Amino acid sequence: MKNIIETFNLTKVYKGKIRAVDNLSIAIKEGEIFGLLGPNGAGKTTTIRMLVTLTKPTSGRAVIDGLDLAKDARKVREIIGYSSQEAGVDENATGREYLGLFGSYYHLDAQTIKRRSDEVLELMELSDAADRLIGTYSGGMRKRLEIATALINQPKLLVFDEPTLGLDVQTRLRVWDYIRQLKKEDTTILMTTHYLEETDKLCDRLAIIDHGQIVALGTPDELKGEIRGDVVALTLPLQEPDQQAKTIEQAKQLLTPQSFVKDVRATSDGLNVYVDEGSSAVPPILHTLEGAGVTVEGITLTRPSLDDVFIKYTGRTLREEKGTARGALGGVKPRGGR
Amino acid sequence: MPFIRDTWTSLLRLLRTFTRSPFYAFIYLVQPLIWLLLFTQIFKSLTALPNFPTSSYLQFFAPGLIVTLAVFNSNFTGFALLNDINFGVLEKVLITPVNRYSLILGTVLYVAVTGVLQIAVVLIISFALGATLVTGVGGILVTIVIVSLLGIGLTSLLGALALRAKRVEPLIFVSNLITLPLIFLSSALIPAYLTPDWVQTAMKFNPVNYAVLAVRPLFLTGYDWNAIGVGLIVLGAWAVAGIVIAEFAFRRFGD
Repeated sequence: MKNIIETFNLTKVYKGKIRAVDNLSIAIKEGEIFGLLGPNGAGKTTTIRMLVTLTKPTSGRAVIDGLDLAKDARKVREIIGYSSQEAGVDENATGREYLGLFGSYYHLDAQTIKRRSDEVLELMELSDAADRLIGTYSGGMRKRLEIATALINQPKLLVFDEPTLGLDVQTRLRVWDYIRQLKKEDTTILMTTHYLEETDKLCDRLAIIDHGQIVALGTPDELKGEIRGDVVALTLPLQEPDQQAKTIEQAKQLLTPQSFVKDVRATSDGLNVYVDEGSSAVPPILHTLEGAGVTVEGITLTRPSLDDVFIKYTGRTLREEKGTARGALGGVKPRGGR
Repeated sequence: MPFIRDTWTSLLRLLRTFTRSPFYAFIYLVQPLIWLLLFTQIFKSLTALPNFPTSSYLQFFAPGLIVTLAVFNSNFTGFALLNDINFGVLEKVLITPVNRYSLILGTVLYVAVTGVLQIAVVLIISFALGATLVTGVGGILVTIVIVSLLGIGLTSLLGALALRAKRVEPLIFVSNLITLPLIFLSSALIPAYLTPDWVQTAMKFNPVNYAVLAVRPLFLTGYDWNAIGVGLIVLGAWAVAGIVIAEFAFRRFGD
């Protein structure tokens, strides 16, 4: 299958020293749903900002649908739809007027704008609110309208920066449905997300990015397959952060040398222990820790998930990342994470 | 032509924002009224001074007020742009194939259109209060051109600041810092010869003053082609410089 996006050593350096994206080379196939997963500040948003022509790469190049990003930015813009993290809308316009504005900027004729607006309004369940001022819309409605504007030009490539961040569960499921439907219509979707479930359910392939570089690439199953065996997730009692870190480190030192342990990784409230066979590993783990005076508060046995893949490559859990993202939404509006 | 269509779309959208906000309309009508009533009372006795160019302060002040309001108007537009930046609208607009120059030109035309509206309001109120415009319709046209150039330059510079800063605080700070000095270091309110030498020197570097000098004679005595010529050159350069800087800020906006 043809590649719709190809990047070659794409690099973005801010203020001469911060390498937000570092020699990133990636190929995304036409018609697939591709997810970019990574901790905050990993370079996901910067990567897609370069691909949608919002910011220029410091070096390297990208080809989108056969067009060179640097030379044919204008043609690239015609085939892209972009939904940003922020629900960017104009409060003084009605939903329909706002869609019309974008339709006009995409140089669609009046009839197409009318037809397409009706379609996307219907799809995002905003038909009833279409002629009301956006100032009266709820947060979820604004986000849906924002997504609707990204669809007005029937883009060949749809780029989503956190498509469901801050949405209620029902709306999130609707957006997922819609993304699947778009895929059936041969639209390629490139998305960043904090939600592993989203990646697992939606994405054909995904890349985990950290420090501006790709650290893992493959289908969700391939990536999960890299971690064989079981995961024993231990929760330690809550203590002062410094003390807790020390206890976690102590537990790690105790478990790592054990012959049945393949790997140990710290999480925010305990440890993940990777073993071949979970049920037989639990008693010796507990024995080792309690013998050294480390209390275990909770213990869970799981199959490896994308979360474990994520921890393996970035040393962080996505749960921590999600917390940050929610915090940002609740308080100060999130600016495009660089 | 996409260029014309994009410009028209941008202009219409800004005008819609204007007409949708009752607050704007209120400010546009009431502000000139307050200034005219208040300042003609406060500075009334100035006309008794020797060599004051006219016996009616209203007659002296009306052209000064037109220029003053253009300065305020430009500030408003700078903040409107900031709104678009903050709500993420501009970012979404910039990934469409819309012509970048159209976005700037649309804003420039918006400044001109709202400027004309404000000139009309001041003229109507001033005429009702007894002022006259000796040059008639021709004088109004020259006023529109001069005042638009002033407004375009100032709006572009504030817009460029908004594009770079992306936050409201620097814009409030700069707008507060420069607005009153721009007005008071010009002859908008009192004739230059009544001010100290240093103020008269400062006026030579103030684009607002060039607008006042070109426009005032149109109300009082007739066309001062010398002042109009200098005004067109200085304010034309001012407007072009503003647009060039705004265009630069626009291109670097995504970074």
